[in-house]
Amino acid sequence: MPKVRINAKEQEFPDGTKLIQVVQKIREANQDHPAIKSLIEKTGKDHITFVYNGRIVKAQELNSIELKEGDEIHWMLPYAGG
Amino acid sequence: MSGVWGKVLKVDLTNGACRAETLPEQIYQYFLGGAGLAAYYMWKECPVGTTAFNPANRLTFAGGPMTGIRQTGASKWTAGAISPSINMNADSAATASFGIEMKETGFDAIVVHGQSPKPVYLLVEDGRAKLKDARKLWGEDAYETEDAIKDAEGEDFEVVSIGQAGERLVRYANIQTHKKSFVGRCGLGAVMGSKYLKAIAVRGSQNCPVHDSAEINRLNKEINRRVADLDAAQPEFLQFKRVGTAGATELFAPQGNLPIKNYSLARFPSGEKNLHGSEYAKKLNAKPWPCKYCVMQCHNLCEIKKGLYAYKGKGPEYESFAMMGFNTMVDNIEAVAYACELANMYSMDCISLGVVIAWAMECYERGVITSKDTYGLDLKWGNAEALVEMTKKIGERAEGLGYLLGEGCKIAAERLGKGSDAWAVQMKGQEIAAHNWRAQYISALNYCTGVASGPNHERGNSQHIWVAHVRLPEWGIDEVRNEERWSWEKAPPRNAIFHDYCNIINSSCHCKFHEFRGYTLTDLLNTINACTGWGWNIEDLRRCGERITTLQKILNIRYGWQKEHDFQYPKRFMEPVDEGPAAGKIPIGLENAIMEYYRVREWDENGKPTGGLIRRLGMEAYAKE
Repeated sequence: MPKVRINAKEQEFPDGTKLIQVVQKIREANQDHPAIKSLIEKTGKDHITFVYNGRIVKAQELNSIELKEGDEIHWMLPYAGG
Repeated sequence: MSGVWGKVLKVDLTNGACRAETLPEQIYQYFLGGAGLAAYYMWKECPVGTTAFNPANRLTFAGGPMTGIRQTGASKWTAGAISPSINMNADSAATASFGIEMKETGFDAIVVHGQSPKPVYLLVEDGRAKLKDARKLWGEDAYETEDAIKDAEGEDFEVVSIGQAGERLVRYANIQTHKKSFVGRCGLGAVMGSKYLKAIAVRGSQNCPVHDSAEINRLNKEINRRVADLDAAQPEFLQFKRVGTAGATELFAPQGNLPIKNYSLARFPSGEKNLHGSEYAKKLNAKPWPCKYCVMQCHNLCEIKKGLYAYKGKGPEYESFAMMGFNTMVDNIEAVAYACELANMYSMDCISLGVVIAWAMECYERGVITSKDTYGLDLKWGNAEALVEMTKKIGERAEGLGYLLGEGCKIAAERLGKGSDAWAVQMKGQEIAAHNWRAQYISALNYCTGVASGPNHERGNSQHIWVAHVRLPEWGIDEVRNEERWSWEKAPPRNAIFHDYCNIINSSCHCKFHEFRGYTLTDLLNTINACTGWGWNIEDLRRCGERITTLQKILNIRYGWQKEHDFQYPKRFMEPVDEGPAAGKIPIGLENAIMEYYRVREWDENGKPTGGLIRRLGMEAYAKE
């Protein structure tokens, strides 16, 4: 069961978990955030960025990546401002 | 020592003397640099009774251990002094290249006191300093001043300067550098003006030794690439290099975070449309104008080629945009940008200016002032011409309303009377910034309890837990639900964490906007250690933040802070809006949250640091008053 850090917090996942499954859960958990809702309404996308082991992941790669021990995932809501 | 010189330049304007002073490493280990060093010099040399315009006030310009290491964001520097708006210690930060160049002169900081008998500017070059006659520059705006000094001394000098508003002691006068970055809040430009110090010019060629340059290079390469990639991954209408920070209005509007009509409304549809990021890029022809070494490039050079508001210069940041646009209901993007640039040239903080003009507009709406007071201007909401003309009147300190508004809306309301304090959105003398307490109650707590520079969104930034999804997992802020915006349960400890975090950032001298592109506390810790060799862990970093916050609190008390001041929040805090994402939300329970914040901070019930805290932080020497 690989232990993976997501936004610096360690979590354990069943063997064979794909990155896309983690991404979908994060997307669902944030879909009610008012800024995300607004972006989805206006652009059709939530614009959440996912970084896997230091590299921004493209949408088409998500299903091919299987989590392994020690992986680091960072995700960020879109932001611009001060 | 590594990462710092251990040396500051002391300037006595009264006697025209400049000398170097060494500092032991322990001061840097306690207070880092930047904001911490500014607070240290106020503690050391500004006793009880020192006021903002008193020659004894120390105005410090300081870099930190990260200044100049070529990491993205490491161009920040801080100025600090006793402020003429809050009448307490204050600090404010800026970027561009001044801090880096100052450090290359061989000094970590420049500490100015006294009052020159005539206008001067300070010239510092590679360890040498002298005061030069600035009488011909007095009366020029801040940009003209910078140009004139560069013409006289050399284009490769970096300059900080003030305009007419600083000279004439507008209480929220700022200090500009490179025509694009500003020591914005708390009126430090007026402190400079009170000393007849028109500008400082620096040029240096010395590289401060660091502990591990190979590790710094490795960190820089990884961090710079990561931050650049994350900005490029944003949609175009949010990318810093295209729209700067003004793009935030797109995300803040659905969160109820914008200030609209002197914080009395929730929606401004024409504003949201006309002041949108895409309009910013298109109508202002925004191009990136980065600070030295920065890959995020959030500053923009804008150009309006023709018409009433033609200019070429700095594009407004989110706060300026929000306060001068949304808060005054002016939805003409060109007028807003032009008025902001005028304010920059006069040297005025656009946040305070926008709140003050909005206050005056509300006075006009309510009949408390009339066109007889407003130089014939129709000071109604949304009047772009009035926004621009009032900016000029205030910057020039025109007799009458212009002069009054230059005092800030606290004093202006006291003098005007007629109940106008009811809509003065200020605390402790400083106008509230463009993060709406209705969108997240922690903003109200932050404004009430800030110690670094009064009610200042950037000296806490706890609103970013929600509006920017910033997390500090190393210090215990990780999972946060959207509904917690309106809960007090975890607000006091989170507020404390963010106060210390901002102090670390502003003292090590890094740009906290990088937290929006994945820069972490661990990145900061690793970089500070690589610069200094101190071998800190994440708790040592927090402890340093606590020390700086505690020193600032000690200074607050010395300069007249009393507990009741934390509870004198604007009446508007408890006035709900009736529509929009934050409809009906007012921070009931704020008083209890303030008391809980004191407890979390290990302050007593009167808001003063306890003996236990002082001993834990090893600050006994600083607590003797």
